[in-house]
Amino acid sequence: MRPACWGIRCSELDVFNAIVNAVLRAFFAAFSWAGTNGAWLSLTLLSVLVGVGMLWVFRKTSDQGAIRAVKRKVHAYLLEMRVYVDDPGATWRAQNSLLKANLRYMGLALRPALFMVVPVGILLIHLEAFYGRAPLEPGRPVVVTAGLRGNADGPPPELVPPRGFEISAPPVRIPDEHEVSWRIVPRVAASGELHFQIGGQSITQDIVAGGGQRFIPGRRVHSAWDAIWHPDESRLPAGKIEWVEVAYPSASLGVFGIHMNWLVWFLIVSMLAALLLRKRFGVTL
Amino acid sequence: MRSDGSGSWPLSLAIAAALLAGCSHQTTHAAGKRMIVLGIDGMDPDFVARHWDSLPNLNRLHQQGDFRRLATTIPPQSPVAWSTVSTGLDPGGHGLFDFIHRNPATREPISSMAEVSDPKNTLHIGPYVIPLSSGTVESLRHGRTFWQLLGEHGIPATVIRMPANFPPAECEQESLAGMGTPDLNGSFGTFSFYTNDPAETRSEVSGGHIIHLPPKSTSAVLRIEGPPNTLRKDRAVSYVSLTVHADPTAAVARFDAPEQQFVIRQGEWSDWQRADFTLIPGIKSVSGIFRIYLQQVHPYWRIYVSPVNIDPGEPALPISTPADYSRTLETKLGPFYTQGIAEETSAFRAGILSKGEFLEQSRKVLADSLRMFHYELRHFSSGLLFYYFSSIDQNSHMLWGKYDDDLLDIYKQVDSAVGDAMAVPDTELLILSDHGFARFDRAVHLNTWLMQQGYLTLDDPTKTGDDEEFAHVNWNRTEAYALGLNGIYLNLYGRENGGIVSPADKEDLLNEIAQKLLEFRDPVNGEHVVDKVFFSSTAYRGKNLRLAPDIIVGFRRGYRASWQTALGAVPPVMLEDNNQAWIADHCMNPDEVPGVLFCNRKFRAAHPQMADVPATILSEFGVPLAPGMLGHTVF
Repeated sequence: MRPACWGIRCSELDVFNAIVNAVLRAFFAAFSWAGTNGAWLSLTLLSVLVGVGMLWVFRKTSDQGAIRAVKRKVHAYLLEMRVYVDDPGATWRAQNSLLKANLRYMGLALRPALFMVVPVGILLIHLEAFYGRAPLEPGRPVVVTAGLRGNADGPPPELVPPRGFEISAPPVRIPDEHEVSWRIVPRVAASGELHFQIGGQSITQDIVAGGGQRFIPGRRVHSAWDAIWHPDESRLPAGKIEWVEVAYPSASLGVFGIHMNWLVWFLIVSMLAALLLRKRFGVTL
Repeated sequence: MRSDGSGSWPLSLAIAAALLAGCSHQTTHAAGKRMIVLGIDGMDPDFVARHWDSLPNLNRLHQQGDFRRLATTIPPQSPVAWSTVSTGLDPGGHGLFDFIHRNPATREPISSMAEVSDPKNTLHIGPYVIPLSSGTVESLRHGRTFWQLLGEHGIPATVIRMPANFPPAECEQESLAGMGTPDLNGSFGTFSFYTNDPAETRSEVSGGHIIHLPPKSTSAVLRIEGPPNTLRKDRAVSYVSLTVHADPTAAVARFDAPEQQFVIRQGEWSDWQRADFTLIPGIKSVSGIFRIYLQQVHPYWRIYVSPVNIDPGEPALPISTPADYSRTLETKLGPFYTQGIAEETSAFRAGILSKGEFLEQSRKVLADSLRMFHYELRHFSSGLLFYYFSSIDQNSHMLWGKYDDDLLDIYKQVDSAVGDAMAVPDTELLILSDHGFARFDRAVHLNTWLMQQGYLTLDDPTKTGDDEEFAHVNWNRTEAYALGLNGIYLNLYGRENGGIVSPADKEDLLNEIAQKLLEFRDPVNGEHVVDKVFFSSTAYRGKNLRLAPDIIVGFRRGYRASWQTALGAVPPVMLEDNNQAWIADHCMNPDEVPGVLFCNRKFRAAHPQMADVPATILSEFGVPLAPGMLGHTVF
């Protein structure tokens, strides 16, 4: 009997996450020629594609006729407010009608929004690993933590870092939080696997230091629910370890010298693309 | 008329050519010229002379260039002396006479260097106070600085950590504020110490707070205090919370901050941690940086948190010119100490840090400083580079005469920086210190002495003690009081609020007190306590004497005003042994604690003074001295 999550069997969730990750990694890799510009270029193209995708979903799932009608009413009520600006009664009625028309418009937009929220949400969660985390900086210590089922009793927890990384302090066992933390220092730009040995269970977690922006898995989890929010790596097998995490620094996306959170650029470009291309796709927004 | 005019053409051209030649000579003189000035606070000429072999670069400079004792200011205190270096004015000109001045109206101690004022116009909304005008941060030092004068003549200058330059003098030069720059709480540096050790019963020590944690806890929440929230009516202190978890048996802990985690072992310092202190949630916060030292994990927590420094990446107060220069440095170098005096002498004095721990922290400050120095040296191309080092001064206070080997290590590191500066080709190098050092063996309670001489009266003679700010002084029967490290003020009618000394009696009273000070002998060994007495009315040429003490006491070597005197306390005895970790000082007779002056050229001046330094710098760049500047070039 496998645990289930929202009716999806966990093996299916793992496969789905793996496919999305593989597609996105291939997409990201296609921009390797651009060097340090690859991150913002790939995100820009992806944002445009998402904008176009959202237009398509909007057209297919919304009542375009009703939207056009309600937008005409909005314009009419706005005009009425300007024309009868000296007539408080007419202005008041126009404002009421305008409010109702706006609410109606929002109601019409709700359906396509509901269709979009899940796929876009899933995409954003996956993109965090590509754009949201920066590789560790060589020489700068970082905390690696394992969340446990119960306390870390039994043999002392062990962590073996890959070549190029060094554990620079003993593990901190925190019984109240059911966690064990290590301090790791990347000595050089390197990547590899951390090997955890806790309570008879052995697992691995990728770790990345130095170099440019790339796919960086954050937390690896066991629970299916958590795997929705942390889809970067395959789920941990059942055992003592609930999750492991490397506390990567946040990345910032540099676009023409301006640094921002990747999500800001994504939202700007995808919305701009949808606005600019709406007529070409025959969509009334 | 016309013929006259045409006839004067050749003459006019000749004059114009001569003027242009003169100008171009001056321009050529300054253009491309390079000068490095290293300000090394507290470098002592005798200590240097005793250790020539260990200080190869200073020795080389001595042999190939020149070396003199540099006469210091009256009094020989750093903000006073460096302000003279900055402006070329004596204390009577720049208006700084001590670390601490007093408000004549209230006799409360105030900072001599800067004043922060709240906005005048505000709007009150619920618990919040919305400023409608900006608050001000004002330097109390008067006079034009030499780098402002250089800038006015188009000569670039970079001035890093000049003391008493907070907020930095307005100009287009690159500068970073030095001594006098407060921590984020507005003090000169207030550390926090978190413990549940039952042996620690104090809650306040000089320069720090001690916060008691719940007993027998493996996890604790540290409330790191930021600035008082001036956007709230109650001015509640802003704070961030940090949770610390100890391993049950190992001496290691994890700290959880809102956006970061870090692990440190017992005996380790954390890297710089950045924290945003919320003033209005979601709208306004100020950024600070601090470091943590995990002194002990088991059986009791002992956690030291440094004063919260102004974040150079997002400075809450003006600490540089241009305003974004501190951000540039932070981007290139990472976070760095912005607090004016960063060495943690207060925690060492309070017994919270051991000597070894103090030295380690002090080395971090010096490493921080050297990193910035080398950055500035690499980017120095023309004009002037002034760089200030605090480490010798602060370490001398704690090590002088008792731990000379440790002190020599600091001197050696600074000597190495001197060597790096010497390696810059075609550059004039000037090195100076503001004062030297002497042991501080006996603490003089000047207010108690004044009381015993009949010049200061308490409401109740039994109420002597460490209560500060003249808590029990009867001002109707007090003629003089002491505040700061060298100053005595008359309770003067018309100047002090409720003053009783008539201006007509001022002169006689000053002479009388001065005579008694010179006769003051230490009852334990019979030695004179005071070597020299100065009157501000005659010691200074500048006339900006509004906040000047009436008498400046030049203590004999080994004696200094007590810490209690500095803040207006009247302890029961006149003199006592200085048993604190702060074992050396310089707030004495200026003749006893001269500074140093080195150069890679020969001096002509036999007895250079502080004010000669800016005069020399300006002269080397062909810039005329500003009116009132007192010095002369040393060449």
